[in-house]
Amino acid sequence: MNKTKSIGLILGIIGFMIPLFVQLPGLSLAGHLAMSIFILAAVFWMFETIPIYSTSILIILLQVVLLSAEGFVPYSDTVYEAISYERFIATLADPIIILFLGGFVLADASVKYNLDKNMTRILLKPFGSDPKYIILGLMAVTAVLSAFMSNTATTAMMITVIIPILARTDYSDPARISIALSIPFAANIGGVATPIGTPPNAVVIAALNQQGLNIEFGSWMLYAMPLAIVMLIFAWFLLLKLHPPATKVLQLDLKGEWTRSTKAYILYVVFALTVLLWVTESLHGIRSSIVALLPVAVLTLTNTFEKEDIRKLPWEVLWLIAGGISLGISMKTTGLADWLVGSIGWEHMAYMILLGVFGGFALLMSNFLSNTVTASLMIPLGISLATSGVIDGPASMMLIGLVIALSTSFAMVLPISTPPNAIAVSTGVVKTKDMIVSGAIIGAVAIVLILLMVHFYWPYIL
Amino acid sequence: MESKIYILVVEDEPEVLDSIVRDITEFEDHFNVEMTDTAEEAEEIIDQILEEEEMIGLILCDHVLPGKNGVDLLIEMQNDEKTKPTKKVLITGQAGLEETVKAVNEADLKHYIAKPWEKSDLVDITRKLLTDYVIEHVKDPLPYMQVLDAEKIAEHLRTGRQITDQ
Repeated sequence: MNKTKSIGLILGIIGFMIPLFVQLPGLSLAGHLAMSIFILAAVFWMFETIPIYSTSILIILLQVVLLSAEGFVPYSDTVYEAISYERFIATLADPIIILFLGGFVLADASVKYNLDKNMTRILLKPFGSDPKYIILGLMAVTAVLSAFMSNTATTAMMITVIIPILARTDYSDPARISIALSIPFAANIGGVATPIGTPPNAVVIAALNQQGLNIEFGSWMLYAMPLAIVMLIFAWFLLLKLHPPATKVLQLDLKGEWTRSTKAYILYVVFALTVLLWVTESLHGIRSSIVALLPVAVLTLTNTFEKEDIRKLPWEVLWLIAGGISLGISMKTTGLADWLVGSIGWEHMAYMILLGVFGGFALLMSNFLSNTVTASLMIPLGISLATSGVIDGPASMMLIGLVIALSTSFAMVLPISTPPNAIAVSTGVVKTKDMIVSGAIIGAVAIVLILLMVHFYWPYIL
Repeated sequence: MESKIYILVVEDEPEVLDSIVRDITEFEDHFNVEMTDTAEEAEEIIDQILEEEEMIGLILCDHVLPGKNGVDLLIEMQNDEKTKPTKKVLITGQAGLEETVKAVNEADLKHYIAKPWEKSDLVDITRKLLTDYVIEHVKDPLPYMQVLDAEKIAEHLRTGRQITDQ
């Protein structure tokens, strides 16, 4: 165990003990225990004392033991109505988790049958050979794919596409930097466009669901996609400005064939049908998490997606999300979130400044922490701000949820900010310094744009 | 960068040893290069490396050595579970067919380099074999992407799903 992890372990345990020994006025016994769990989770997530997905499972275990009706703490004489342990473990099969499961199965099946690479080949064709437009093409394709697949898997795939291009580009040509940065940036940006694009979206949507707000797949796209498109174009301009390509022509040499087996065709049809049903939820009313069972069922029953493939699914990401959802439940039910929100004098802050603080803080935190963790830690507080009346109405709850979810995804300053950034820097083409400059500008512009949307866009379509 | 993966070069002629090591300098920032002139000393080095729980990714080995010969060293390594994954290359001017066949069959020889060699060939083979080794045996291959076959490592990340969104 290295030094950081050891410090995290000690701090986590001390932090866990504090609420057990210090009586906080106005907070119930259950609230104290929920706070212990919250501090432990926050510290372990920040210091990565244990893998972030195990912290999530640890949260669920501690909640069952300390906060459920079946747990070891008797709550019969207190104000807290202990909820069943089933509520906590059910987060592992929350509708949003099932939605992600459907997304994962589609994405992994696409990799298996090379659908992702073939789509890239087809979609890149119209962009010609001018480096400016090739970069735009790379970014557009990356963003579209990462809206449905994981940002990381999309980046890995696109890196295999750009390496031959980079190899043919003169070593001193700034185009190398703009190309290599365009991929992770576009992958991060594309993730915001759909509910399944990136895990923070899941945590926020689940938290809003708990409050009785159902968010349709298509509605989310309506809220978030304009932001993704504008930011993608901005990032393109920025990269061309900072690292203008010297060469006039770039050859894209994309070889490949569509996989033409029955199973591959089944995948193509199921993929298209699932996405179609997702985006048309408002027409037929079938919830996206129910639609998500379609690819899971059809691809496995046709053996298109086999047992080995199921085992290779990124289950730990689902655990990570579930822990975040579960943490939110206990913070809400024990009154901890309200207590935390109430202890800060938000009233003195103007509405927009308050949202700006939340967005800015989410952006800052997720540059250093996992985006999902950032969203998990912030969303319970955001929701309490709305429910406790500091900010008004159901629309404000949506707004603060969107601000948190979207801000976390625009953290792309450092290699450690997101796995796509880490992959791009590992190629050796991009210097960390280049990433910091353009990543910081993109983050700052995104926050401003998000706040503009709070004011001028979302209130009119929610 | 602090590396835990070694490249072992075994060659008894000092000039030849020098030129091998010179040819593969571009890997030195990411891999530790150890050199020796006998099979017996190579065994000692191997034991030391394994004792510190570090890995031997690649051995470039001459055939004719004073004492135990290179083919026998490679076969011994192949029969030891701990050095079985090491990618094995024979560099030689005079190995006969019989010896070479033995090395292929019994030591899972990955490549045979005839003296004299082209620098670019040696570099390509080293890169290819180290890439394979890293993909098969290293949990996080990202730090090696820069010096190895980045496309192959990225493809491995795409299909192997070691790294996921957080």
